[in-house]
Amino acid sequence: MDLRFTEAQEILRKMARDFLATECPKSLVREVEQSPKGYSPELWRKMAELGWMGLVIPEQYDGMGYTFQDLTVLVEEIGRNILPGPFICTVTSTFPVMEAGTEKQKREFLPKIAKGDLILTTALLEAEGTLSATGVTVSANARGDSFVINGSKMFVEMAHVADYMVCVARTKSGADPEKGVSLFLVDAKAPGIKCEVMPTIADDKLCEVRFDNVSVPKDNLLGKLDEGWPIVKNFLRKGAIIKCAESVGAMQVCVEMTVAYSKERVQYDRPIGAFQALQHIMADMWTAMQTSRYLVYKAAWMESVGMPCEKEASMAKSFVNEAYKNIAKWAVRLHGAIGVTYDHDISLYYRRSKSADAAFGGTDFHREIVAQQIGLV
Amino acid sequence: MDFELTKEQQARRQMFFDACKALEPKKPATMIGTETIFTLDECWEFHLYCAKEFAKKNWLALGWPPEYGGIGDAMDRVFFAEARGYYGIPGVDVFGVGMLAPTLLAAASEEIKREFLPPIAKAEVMWCELWSEPNAGSDLAVLSTTAIRKGDEYIINGQKTWNTGANRADWGFGVFKTDPTGRKHHNLTFILLDMKTPGITVRPIPYMYRESPFCEVYFDDVHVPAKNIVGQENGGWAVVNVLAGFERSGMGEVAAMDRILEEVVKFLNETNRGGKPLAKDPVIRNRIAQIACELEAARTLSYRIADLQNRNEMALMDASAAKVFYSELGERFAFTMMDILGPSGLIKFSKWAPMQGHWERAVQDCFVTTISMGTNEIQRNIIAWYGLGLPRMK
Repeated sequence: MDLRFTEAQEILRKMARDFLATECPKSLVREVEQSPKGYSPELWRKMAELGWMGLVIPEQYDGMGYTFQDLTVLVEEIGRNILPGPFICTVTSTFPVMEAGTEKQKREFLPKIAKGDLILTTALLEAEGTLSATGVTVSANARGDSFVINGSKMFVEMAHVADYMVCVARTKSGADPEKGVSLFLVDAKAPGIKCEVMPTIADDKLCEVRFDNVSVPKDNLLGKLDEGWPIVKNFLRKGAIIKCAESVGAMQVCVEMTVAYSKERVQYDRPIGAFQALQHIMADMWTAMQTSRYLVYKAAWMESVGMPCEKEASMAKSFVNEAYKNIAKWAVRLHGAIGVTYDHDISLYYRRSKSADAAFGGTDFHREIVAQQIGLV
Repeated sequence: MDFELTKEQQARRQMFFDACKALEPKKPATMIGTETIFTLDECWEFHLYCAKEFAKKNWLALGWPPEYGGIGDAMDRVFFAEARGYYGIPGVDVFGVGMLAPTLLAAASEEIKREFLPPIAKAEVMWCELWSEPNAGSDLAVLSTTAIRKGDEYIINGQKTWNTGANRADWGFGVFKTDPTGRKHHNLTFILLDMKTPGITVRPIPYMYRESPFCEVYFDDVHVPAKNIVGQENGGWAVVNVLAGFERSGMGEVAAMDRILEEVVKFLNETNRGGKPLAKDPVIRNRIAQIACELEAARTLSYRIADLQNRNEMALMDASAAKVFYSELGERFAFTMMDILGPSGLIKFSKWAPMQGHWERAVQDCFVTTISMGTNEIQRNIIAWYGLGLPRMK
């Protein structure tokens, strides 16, 4: 057991921290979240040059061949800086391609993703917002050499700038909703696709994507027909851990900013950080952050070495959801009125604590998985 | 970053688990939680029996330097605590083995170490702490029990309180005021004393459940050899800080909750209400899953502390955070179970009680971890002051 980052991870972390401190100031975060695109193409190019999009893509597909755990180290730094844009959706959507893609699909997609030439996202949720298989109603029907997709997907992150989407569709109806789900690699600009950005709390460009007789070549079926649900579950598990790593970085900053502010802000002739009423809240914020951190590191390690970790990933996500929301809430509260303003950085984190919760499964969704995993009948 | 134990560590961990598992069948049915070793004779006897068994394997000296008969390392201590916690096995004197021995190793003279360490390792002497007083709790340095030097003796007068197991202990250690006119923090001495010394009166204090895991101790002209001190005369505060600085991983407490969670799952699966198992109730599922998540968080933080300790690195902030977290998790777990059990949760150990009355006891014993060993409020001060660098209260 050695719970320190490896030397390579420390280098990656330091490089990412320095890079983002320079390249992703909060002024850029605000500018980007108000822009229609929702990301900075210039910054995206620079990230691509550093190899970030291809970090876990194997070298034979022009990636860096790093581990899943290495990726969480990078994502934690991205979380610190609340980097906006399609990084998280691209790297998480890459997992199903690496896992279930044919050699041809991997050769076609992975090098482009690694180079930063292809933005990828996943179209899974629909209007009900449920992550269970019952929520998949968008249909894909075989017609000649193609599948034809019809229906409406919601909460598709960055779909408006994506080049391709992993679309989770129903290919067969039956008693078991987990049977008859298939994944497709869909050109995001294909005829029949209409994409609209929904206004959301974190301005993170969640889209409604309507499919009206969208034709997808059969070669773009990802994984086996009707047997896509296990791929979706793996995507959700890995995505949950990635989202947790991002939240850990954000929580750390919430604690740092609040402690720093409480040392500067003077009331009653002393810094407000001298009051125990506030000290104990900050101690609890730190404790929640630190407990989250090692919970996430353990799940990331298990995923990285290929151990089954459905339980640990869901434990981490449900715990981190609550920890991040609470920490961000207290961070705003301890900043006082300045904390609720748009111009103060802490409110950027608070809004993102809500969207981080919803992404890859809310608290109760993951607690139900935990309930099953610990053996409740 | 790697959470995996080495093959050798796995084997050692298994050795501790096997030994504790073998002792489990001999555990009295009345032993619920850790405090019953002090309240019930048969549980104290079991504690002494286990202590002797562990002493035979030299497991009471884990992590001690070899010159004092020690074996193993910091990870062994963690594994041993985990195994005992999981099987609910006593046998390690938390005061002698847990607190005094490392204090002696860090701060005592060679003569004192040679005299007092071997009986601890051999489980020949059981200890109690003589720490708090009626008017000195978290602010311990204002204590008023005096130990006045007279020739080669100290004469002790005053009162200590909240002394867990003082009625069972052979010896006690504590801090006493040796310079009544001296400055705060420069007037105390860390003294070791035989609890059978004339002039000592031990009075059990009934806990809220009426049995007495702890006592108050009165001193009326108690003569103690002046050589029985740790550190310097009037230098006791430094020794107190040494003792308070031992960072506990909390692995034992976490493992104990692990085990009880397994029993809770079994109970919920097998107990029907309204014609179906309690485990099918979505509210109960959610609440128990939350406890399981928090328990996993506590465990991983314990690993973090063990990892730091294993490299001899400071873990002060993490240890305080872990103590706050696992102790309050204990409260939440007990409160949650009382909600789920309904009226049957109120029943004490008896033929009517679900889960042997564990939760009726736990909901009262949960304060043992939140209040003792530095209250959780003091732990939060430690995190804020020493960890986050916030201004200290004057």
